[in-house]
Amino acid sequence: MAQITQKTFRKISDYEWEIPREYRSDMRVPVRVFASQALLQDSLNDKSLEQAVNASTLPGLVEAVMVMPDMHQGYGFPIGGVGATDLESGVISPGGIGYDINCGVRLLASQITVEELQAWIPDLASALNMLCPSGVGVNSDLSLTKAELADALVKGSRWAKASGQATADDINRTEDQGCLAGADPGKVSQRAMERGRSQLGTLGAGNHFIEVDLVTDIFDDHAAHVMGLTRGEIAVQIHTGSRGFGHQICTDYVRRLQGAVAKYGIRLPDRQLVCAPIASKEGQDYLGAMRCAANYAFLNRQLLANKVREAFERVLAGKVNHWHLRQVYDIAHNIGKFENHLVQGKRKQVCVHRKGATRAFGPGCEGLPDEYMQIGQPVLVPGSMGTASWVLTGTETSMQRSFGSSCHGAGRVMSRSQAKKQVWGEDLLRALKEDGIVIRAGSMAGLAEEAPQAYKDVDRVVESVVGAGLAKKVAILRPLIVIKG
Amino acid sequence: MASPGYEEVDHTADIALRVWGKDLQTFLEQAAEGMYDLVGIEFAPDSSIDITFDLQQGPSETILVDFLSELLYLLEERAQVFHTFSFDIGTDQISIRAICSKVLSIDRHIKAVTFHNLNIEKTAKGLEATITFDV
Repeated sequence: MAQITQKTFRKISDYEWEIPREYRSDMRVPVRVFASQALLQDSLNDKSLEQAVNASTLPGLVEAVMVMPDMHQGYGFPIGGVGATDLESGVISPGGIGYDINCGVRLLASQITVEELQAWIPDLASALNMLCPSGVGVNSDLSLTKAELADALVKGSRWAKASGQATADDINRTEDQGCLAGADPGKVSQRAMERGRSQLGTLGAGNHFIEVDLVTDIFDDHAAHVMGLTRGEIAVQIHTGSRGFGHQICTDYVRRLQGAVAKYGIRLPDRQLVCAPIASKEGQDYLGAMRCAANYAFLNRQLLANKVREAFERVLAGKVNHWHLRQVYDIAHNIGKFENHLVQGKRKQVCVHRKGATRAFGPGCEGLPDEYMQIGQPVLVPGSMGTASWVLTGTETSMQRSFGSSCHGAGRVMSRSQAKKQVWGEDLLRALKEDGIVIRAGSMAGLAEEAPQAYKDVDRVVESVVGAGLAKKVAILRPLIVIKG
Repeated sequence: MASPGYEEVDHTADIALRVWGKDLQTFLEQAAEGMYDLVGIEFAPDSSIDITFDLQQGPSETILVDFLSELLYLLEERAQVFHTFSFDIGTDQISIRAICSKVLSIDRHIKAVTFHNLNIEKTAKGLEATITFDV
């Protein structure tokens, strides 16, 4: 196989490129890359595009494997990969979704001005750090029975509503209203249940965070107004997923489906792309378990949002006019879902795998809350630590070109070991402090691994998805407080 | 002290480890040590107890992933770290006995052990493979 170079690509536009199906004999569909020429060139430095070509060999894929501009090398699918499979002839692949099932982002808006918050920033950082369990090996303060957890896995965020821990707006303004149908706790191992019980309501470590941000720039006044975002006011992002529960489900099914690959005569270039026909028992079992993990993650972010609200109340009630936090949206970026999309000009239900890619439904799409029907779905793109994050909206073009998908973040360019060699956690902490950002982090080594230098420039990533027409700019958020495990 | 049979390999987003050992037992032991090294564990020296657990027999790559996944689970859920392994390799299963210590703290979370391009090869060093961990 020839090495992938700029010459491998067919240019579709300044922000869209294609590796034709003829590039490798086992490809079933082309690979479509959404990136500027510069980001495309950067992507040749790791194995992300080779992994996308590998992913394009999965049975039953339709249209193309898509890759977003924040792509980087993962395992199996690249991070930033999107692939849709036919429900009858196609497969479901745990490796196309990842271990942190429904890792995602929630954005909350406030009417608190930066001037009102300024004096309370250290207190708020400490309250968030104290109330939101985070870090390696830090467990939940909940003690759910197995039956209660099984109920929560079926209901997702709605489980929190029943116990008064979610508002109607929280539910409506969550992708799939915080609950995937078809979750089956009977397909989840006892070990996953054990890990799920001990970790529900926790942030975790690594690249997960809670961030208090300032809305600094608005590009679309109407969309920002509808979302409740105002320049000069405070917003909060929560980035986490299904914790050890999802990791265990993926581990269990990647192991179990190794047998299914042989059973159904599927040839794979990488064992991590392990899969099973959607219609098979193995495929259905994985779907039932994966949806439990998706619902767990929606609920996890809901419970953390409540902790964040409690912190805001403790520190700011009586000191600012409106301390309440209203949900803007909650989105998944590692997930597999049945959605209706155009396939060769016809509307069809397919299984969309998104691994490090965000749903970006355009105006008028089914499943959006009424208030977002006209503007399109909010797309949340967190930047690297200490840098800007973006709020975008999905477009009609994303529905036509990328199965309603967009980028999910900045995307790494530097390995963790390289980052630790180049950046000292204490130096980074000092530099961020000088920039006016308050950090609460569990580990200095972990902080160095997540240094902004280890990531692409999120602005360039956003320029690419906007240039490709997959999303529209709404607002920029800049961090004031970062809580990391 | 013998030099370790593992080294970290660059990977953009996750962590990869090159592991080698003269036979399967040594290879598995080095893989465990390498993974613990990546995690950065502080453990209580006087808390050691013996423990035994079993793995299903199968292809050596599957045994490796099962073995490390078991250790990750015990690390995360029971705060246990193991050393001085002995392996009883049977037809249907592998019984593993090891000395267990209580973990006091860890620096980094590993989510899972992947099968990504996992291929255990016979080389001049014995058995050798690159393992990718999701972090």
